[in-house]
Amino acid sequence: MAVVTRSRKLKEAVLGYTLLAPLLIVFAVFAYYPFYRIIQFALFQKFTNSDDTEFVGTKGIWDVLSGDEFRSGLWITVKFMLYTVPAGLIIGVLLATAAHRQLRGIKIYQTIFSSTVASSVAVSSVVFLTLVNRQAGYFQNVSWLDLGTPGGAMRGVALSSVWQNVGLTFIIVLAGMQAIPEEINEAATLDGYRPVRRFLRITVPMISPTLLFLAVILVVQSLQAYAQIEILTSGGPQRSTETLLFKITQLQGRTDLQTGASMALGLFVLTLAVSVGQFLMLNRRVHYDN
Amino acid sequence: MSRVGFANVTKRFGDSVAVDDLTLEVADREFMVLLGPSGCGKTTALRMIAGLESITSGDLTIGDTRVNDLAASDRDIAMVFQSYALYPHMTVRKNIESPLVARKAGRLGAAERATRVSEAAEVLGLTELLNRKPGALSGGQRQRVALARSIVRRPEVFLMDEPLSNLDAKLRTQTRLELVELWRRLETTFIYVTHDQVEAMTMGSQIAVMTNGKLQQVGAPQAVYERPANLFVASFIGSPPMNLLEGVLETTNSVAVNGGRIGVANAVAETSARAVTIGVRPEHLQIGGTDVSATVISVELLGHERHVICQVGPARWVIRQASNDTSLTVGESVMLGIDPAQVHVFDSATTERLN
Repeated sequence: MAVVTRSRKLKEAVLGYTLLAPLLIVFAVFAYYPFYRIIQFALFQKFTNSDDTEFVGTKGIWDVLSGDEFRSGLWITVKFMLYTVPAGLIIGVLLATAAHRQLRGIKIYQTIFSSTVASSVAVSSVVFLTLVNRQAGYFQNVSWLDLGTPGGAMRGVALSSVWQNVGLTFIIVLAGMQAIPEEINEAATLDGYRPVRRFLRITVPMISPTLLFLAVILVVQSLQAYAQIEILTSGGPQRSTETLLFKITQLQGRTDLQTGASMALGLFVLTLAVSVGQFLMLNRRVHYDN
Repeated sequence: MSRVGFANVTKRFGDSVAVDDLTLEVADREFMVLLGPSGCGKTTALRMIAGLESITSGDLTIGDTRVNDLAASDRDIAMVFQSYALYPHMTVRKNIESPLVARKAGRLGAAERATRVSEAAEVLGLTELLNRKPGALSGGQRQRVALARSIVRRPEVFLMDEPLSNLDAKLRTQTRLELVELWRRLETTFIYVTHDQVEAMTMGSQIAVMTNGKLQQVGAPQAVYERPANLFVASFIGSPPMNLLEGVLETTNSVAVNGGRIGVANAVAETSARAVTIGVRPEHLQIGGTDVSATVISVELLGHERHVICQVGPARWVIRQASNDTSLTVGESVMLGIDPAQVHVFDSATTERLN
């Protein structure tokens, strides 16, 4: 009897790992191995025009992370995050609030609001670039969107990112709002809550898990933004839109692999810390229905 | 004054009429039960009082004010929902306090609010649970929180939409009593929606029976039970339901039925020979009589009483008896005696009461 059970367990285990294997292989090839290589690159300084390398260790990584280059990239990244995440959340909530009602033809609006999900970052960046073009763009006279100035470039990149994320934030927030039972809203109305207060005291707390999820996604997306920067500003002018990730991509393929790899490690730690921090911090305040 | 009045109120959803020309007065301090099967318009009527549904036509008044165009948040009304609709992110204390803090204007002081919350919690036995969240409560406890939230601000009118339907049978019976006690204690108007006639009979000081959006009858529960206005009310109220049989009106005091003649003590106003339906409650029938013949189909023992199910002409009748009555065998032919004072006569065509 025991033998039968053990062999069955073994069979189940083999089946389980077999089914998991493809995913593990993909992870190994595209995530774990590159990560291992990055650590390797970061620890060794490669000499120009030579295959020789010199071990620089954690001191080498630390030198990069405490250097001006990393610091300026970090500041630009944080600025980009501050421009895009709160705005993305607020616009998503506003649009979802506007579309979360029983009106004739509301599905059309919901479709329009969510349509940006279907367009790629590259396409919408090119469209945005056309819109703000100084010679022919629709917004050519809007001075605060002048990509030729450092401030305008940052605002332009941030605005186009928020715009690209609108569909996603809208859909997610709308789904969160639709999950609130109608009777709760009615009870709040009868308790005497006017719309704005009801929204702040009842709706927002009840969609807070959704907002947390969205905040994490938006933060990670802002840390990983690349295509819109490449297309709109190429990091300029005067390197004012060179986020960490953008700097890393500029350094890869050059001789200075150690610097890029060290920055990549820094970005990795930052992303991890922000995500974990957000969950720890917000988890206490978030309501999860049981 | 917490009188509620419907005057020719109609509610349409597109082409369908949910409430059809409803005229109903709910007096101050009444416990009015709106009773009817699902889809009869009782909940829509309640939601119109709350302001959660607009009124298509007619006038709705609370006190002496016409409230058709008054926003729900501005009506002094509390409602207990079937699902309780508690705020899951707030503690029991915050839930109960909610109506007191919903508005900045005219808000009570913190000390006064705390007193009110603890009073309401005390009344409903929630003092121990004030710091829990709704997710950690049983169905019965949630229901009490919903009630506490509704009494805390002392509204003019309480509305309840099937508040007991999510409770198990035992808890329901107990809560029924507690709700009536609460009503007596608060001395205010309750309007209560249910499809359960036992709830209606046991709790209401008045009941209003509805079907298909139309009001059928209003009255004290016993009066409605004893003199149902039409066939719908007759068969909807009472458990087991009233026994019915088709017949033809012979005189103002007798109806010819399949295989017999039934005497009617309360004279029928009509004299023309027309198709009528007679109704007799199960407790007003006895086995051993001379009125109609019947065949015993089954005997249901309930402990304190028994129900004898008989075939009477084309109909199945139930006779309520003491459980120690003479024993019967299935298939036995019996004669039934009917008290003429307890015979209800309805017009088969219009379904209206004739006597």
